[in-house]
Amino acid sequence: MRNRRQNVITLLLLAPSLVMAILLLAIPLLVVIAYSFAGRDSYGGVVTGFTLESYVELFQPAYLPIFVNSLKIAAMSTAVCVLIGYPIAYFIAFRAGKHSGLLLALLLIPFWIDFMIRMSSWMVLMGRNGTINGALTGAGIIDEPIRMIGTYPAVMVGMLYAFLPTTVLPIYAALSGINRRLLEAADDLGAGPVEAFWRVTFPLSLPGVMAAMLFVFVPAMGVYAIPVLLGGGKSIILGNLIVQLFLDFRNIPLGAAVSVVMLVLSSVIIVFYMRMLRRLEEAHA
Amino acid sequence: MPNDKKSEPDKTGRPAVELVDVCKVFDTSATPPAYAVDHLSLKIASGEFFTFLGPSGCGKTTTLRMIAGFESPTAGKILLEGHDVSGLPAHMRNTNTVFQSYALFPHLSVEDNVAFGLAVKRVPRSERGDRVAAALDLVRMRHAAGRKPSELSGGQQQRIALARALVNEPSVLLLDEPFGALDLKLRREMQIEVKEMQRRLGITFIFVTHDQEEALTMSDRIAVMSTGVVRQIDDPVGIYERPTDRFTAGFIGDMNMLSATVLERQDGVVEVLAADTRLKLKTNAELPAGKDCTIAMRPEALTFMRDSADDAAFAGKVESAVYVGTDRLYNIRLQTGEAMTVRVRNSRADSVLRIGEKVSLFCPSSAIHLLSDQDKK
Repeated sequence: MRNRRQNVITLLLLAPSLVMAILLLAIPLLVVIAYSFAGRDSYGGVVTGFTLESYVELFQPAYLPIFVNSLKIAAMSTAVCVLIGYPIAYFIAFRAGKHSGLLLALLLIPFWIDFMIRMSSWMVLMGRNGTINGALTGAGIIDEPIRMIGTYPAVMVGMLYAFLPTTVLPIYAALSGINRRLLEAADDLGAGPVEAFWRVTFPLSLPGVMAAMLFVFVPAMGVYAIPVLLGGGKSIILGNLIVQLFLDFRNIPLGAAVSVVMLVLSSVIIVFYMRMLRRLEEAHA
Repeated sequence: MPNDKKSEPDKTGRPAVELVDVCKVFDTSATPPAYAVDHLSLKIASGEFFTFLGPSGCGKTTTLRMIAGFESPTAGKILLEGHDVSGLPAHMRNTNTVFQSYALFPHLSVEDNVAFGLAVKRVPRSERGDRVAAALDLVRMRHAAGRKPSELSGGQQQRIALARALVNEPSVLLLDEPFGALDLKLRREMQIEVKEMQRRLGITFIFVTHDQEEALTMSDRIAVMSTGVVRQIDDPVGIYERPTDRFTAGFIGDMNMLSATVLERQDGVVEVLAADTRLKLKTNAELPAGKDCTIAMRPEALTFMRDSADDAAFAGKVESAVYVGTDRLYNIRLQTGEAMTVRVRNSRADSVLRIGEKVSLFCPSSAIHLLSDQDKK
């Protein structure tokens, strides 16, 4: 009796968030899935029904490079973020001392500014007549402005800027949780700083690194604005493919199908990762 | 593992560890500087079981950490087997440490934990396996080789920590309150086992503890520390039976202490006045007439019956009595106001006294310790 009453109370307390989640997450998702199985008339309207047409079209060779390209950009962004984020996290956790709180705050403050504004700032910085080119030509280091916007490195700079905090925070959390006595023990047993890092610090920080990789890889798969604004939108990836299919080609079912495939792909990766993460954490328990 | 050998501390040869005027100040901006370790000089013989004993904050752990290389001395020198290692980091010293918190690597198996030092030193894999097995045998934990530290009890983790240190055959093993987290029974077992291990291996053990009983049970010699200063260094019998220092006398066991004044001094005998009683005591200490000092007596050295004409006698009144099994403890208020504790065997006929009863306390003069009042600082 009491249990049932508790369940009812729990449900009532959860109701507002449940309603929100159903209205804003579950229903739109179901709509997208339903659209992906719908047909399409010649004017771009959606014809309700069930057909696998969109999925068949999706597995045409033309779309494969787009998936590969997206995976490549996401993987590359993840690698860049972790390679640059790890030393930052390490510095904050082990070397910054009482300044660590300030450094973490500095890392997060840019995120109070709207994403589009921050990306537009990068366009100003890296533009043909932008701040960087202006400074370099002004100083006489280069004669002609360097083309930055529209290049792969520019996309990576944008990705790094967008995802650095989500990389640094979990790695920092893992590193700062390491018992300093363990590092003294390694030192005591003959391991110099480099060896102690690879034998103790790094393995113990791996759960944080894995989490960071997940937090970068998954959103990077669906990223849209950065490649369009900083990459010049030249290489098509999943994010802008979906936008194009919906808005330019008015092929809503195909756009929905791309979204669903992307969702499934991301979910598979997340499940796979979480399992590895759990195994790592068990190993460290 | 070193060959099994019963060995005695080698007091003639080169000391395993020598501290020369070692100081440690953590906050160098403070004036006057607060010394965690204050001009400490001592020698520890090879093969010795040496203990730093003192209350928390006395500088014993800081001293150990300086010998290990985790802290560098603010001033002074540390010599390991004659070589100055003051500037060397821990990984370049031939010492190993057993930490109070064990500090086992959580991501490595027991076996890999023990093999850590050998792997770092690039000891060939086959030799590594043999030595790890021998070290695990030594602490009777071979069966746990494949387990993770988190699957072991505190006592078992402590054994692994010992094996992980000893497998490297250090010239000096440092133990920082290694049994602090164990329950009393396990702690007693480990004390005996570790002492036996040290005797067998002949390695110099430097042990840090705040537990006087632990120090007395295990050590060849004990350095009693307080406020960064070594108050007395002696073997356990000497520390307990011949305290030379007020702090040591008060810290080790129970002790009744009375303020005294030197009346006169002649040929190694001083006459002092304490609690309105004149006492003649033998001493080598520099105590000129008129100087203040302290006399100290163990509760078990006091009786209510005169054994000899030389006994010191104090008059007082029974204030309270506590029954503690084999003994009774009496709190006696002397006529001069000082409180004294007397410990009497219950098997003795005179053991039951009433509260408020007037008594005389006797103490053989050989059991009275004369302590100089000046602090060594």
